[in-house]
Amino acid sequence: MGNLIKQIIDDLAKPFLDDLKDLPLWIKWSAIVITCAATIPLALIFRARTAFSDKPRIHFIQNMDNQPKYVSQEVNALFLDGRAMRPRVEGTIARSGMVGDTHYFMGVGDGEWATTYPSFITVDSDLLLRGQGRFNIYCSPCHGAGGFGDGLIHHRANQLVETGVNGTSWVAPKNLHEDAIKAQPVGQLFNTITNGVRTMSGYGSQITTEDRWAIVLYMKALQLSQDADPSMVSNAESLPRKSASEGSSE
Amino acid sequence: MTQQRFVFPRWTNLALPGIIIVGSTAPLYFAIVVAYGFSPQSTDVGYMPEQPIPFSHKLHAGELGLDCRYCHNTVEKTPHAAIPPTQTCMNCHAQIHPESEKLQPLFESYETGMPVPWVRVHDLPQYTYFDHSAHVTRGVSCVECHGRIDTMETVYQHEKLSMGWCLECHRNPDPHVRNPDLVTQLEWGIDMSDAEKIAHSIHWREMNNVNPSQDCSTCHR
Repeated sequence: MGNLIKQIIDDLAKPFLDDLKDLPLWIKWSAIVITCAATIPLALIFRARTAFSDKPRIHFIQNMDNQPKYVSQEVNALFLDGRAMRPRVEGTIARSGMVGDTHYFMGVGDGEWATTYPSFITVDSDLLLRGQGRFNIYCSPCHGAGGFGDGLIHHRANQLVETGVNGTSWVAPKNLHEDAIKAQPVGQLFNTITNGVRTMSGYGSQITTEDRWAIVLYMKALQLSQDADPSMVSNAESLPRKSASEGSSE
Repeated sequence: MTQQRFVFPRWTNLALPGIIIVGSTAPLYFAIVVAYGFSPQSTDVGYMPEQPIPFSHKLHAGELGLDCRYCHNTVEKTPHAAIPPTQTCMNCHAQIHPESEKLQPLFESYETGMPVPWVRVHDLPQYTYFDHSAHVTRGVSCVECHGRIDTMETVYQHEKLSMGWCLECHRNPDPHVRNPDLVTQLEWGIDMSDAEKIAHSIHWREMNNVNPSQDCSTCHR
């Protein structure tokens, strides 16, 4: 049986091998070279699919993917600063940035810090929740989620000051529950968020006007949460109270 | 004088099998090269350009926990998620690392008013009108298209951003939708099962009436 199979293979393979021996050298070499060369694109594709590259992307079929128009924040070589989006011309204001209403835009009413919210603003739970969200995005990095001046940026900066890296200096962000800050009228808080104070930058260009008022509202709620009198809660008597001994055991 | 007859050399016996082998493998080979080589997975994914300042999203968004919107603050209101102006960086870096060698381009920009030449990583064809705000406010997280930016030292393109890839989600939006308040929580959901994610996604799609359109004019106009 084994012999039979060997016989068949020999009968089939031998003429083929003899044909192959007869093959001219140039054909043999061409076949070898072409076969080897064919693996190069496959290797390149494998690399492109697995590795990172800082080279510009290969764009085989252009279609109209890149058009001679300018999109947001694109480069325009016509201008010295390269900005396709032109900065505001000095002495002008954006259409929504009219500073006619000093109460709404600056937090000032009758030459003093406003103590009330502007009439545009509807003070309700929606605005409060909006303020909470904005506070957690823009304020909590330094002031902390609770407003105690203990955000992660504060901790990081202190670390850097200790190790003395690159001339870092740091003024601790304010604890928003300080008496002096709690006493500030809403207009002053709004102004501080808008224009900054001491080492804090102004956030007027980063947060919209309405959102800044929402943050003020949330700040007031946050301050109240740490300094509330039980009598402010309607049915305070019926609520479970933590006794002093329970508190210390936790 | 008799004409000498031409005899084919012995190796020409190989012509037929040779043609069959080459004729069947070559088209297959080219099909593989085109299908894999021209795919955005090869040409676009993994693009990680070198930036003028080695800004680390891993540090800022990851370790320090800055919300995406602290810097990309236009994302909820406009189609374009803005690269922040130099002022946003200076909110902190006026005090932190003010003498850093790596931050020199930033300080230069702050003094001269010239922009920092950041390199664009994600680039769609210009006949595609993608709107960030439409997605983010309906609960499609940043992570769905950009990957775990908060773990990237240098940002790279994580997804194909091809039309077929967009349509995968527009045709089958679950489990890609979540509570819109959680869109910038990139790590959210890693401890959830697929079934839980799909249930969450369906819930929030019904809540906010999110039914992605597949009309041409939704993205092309």
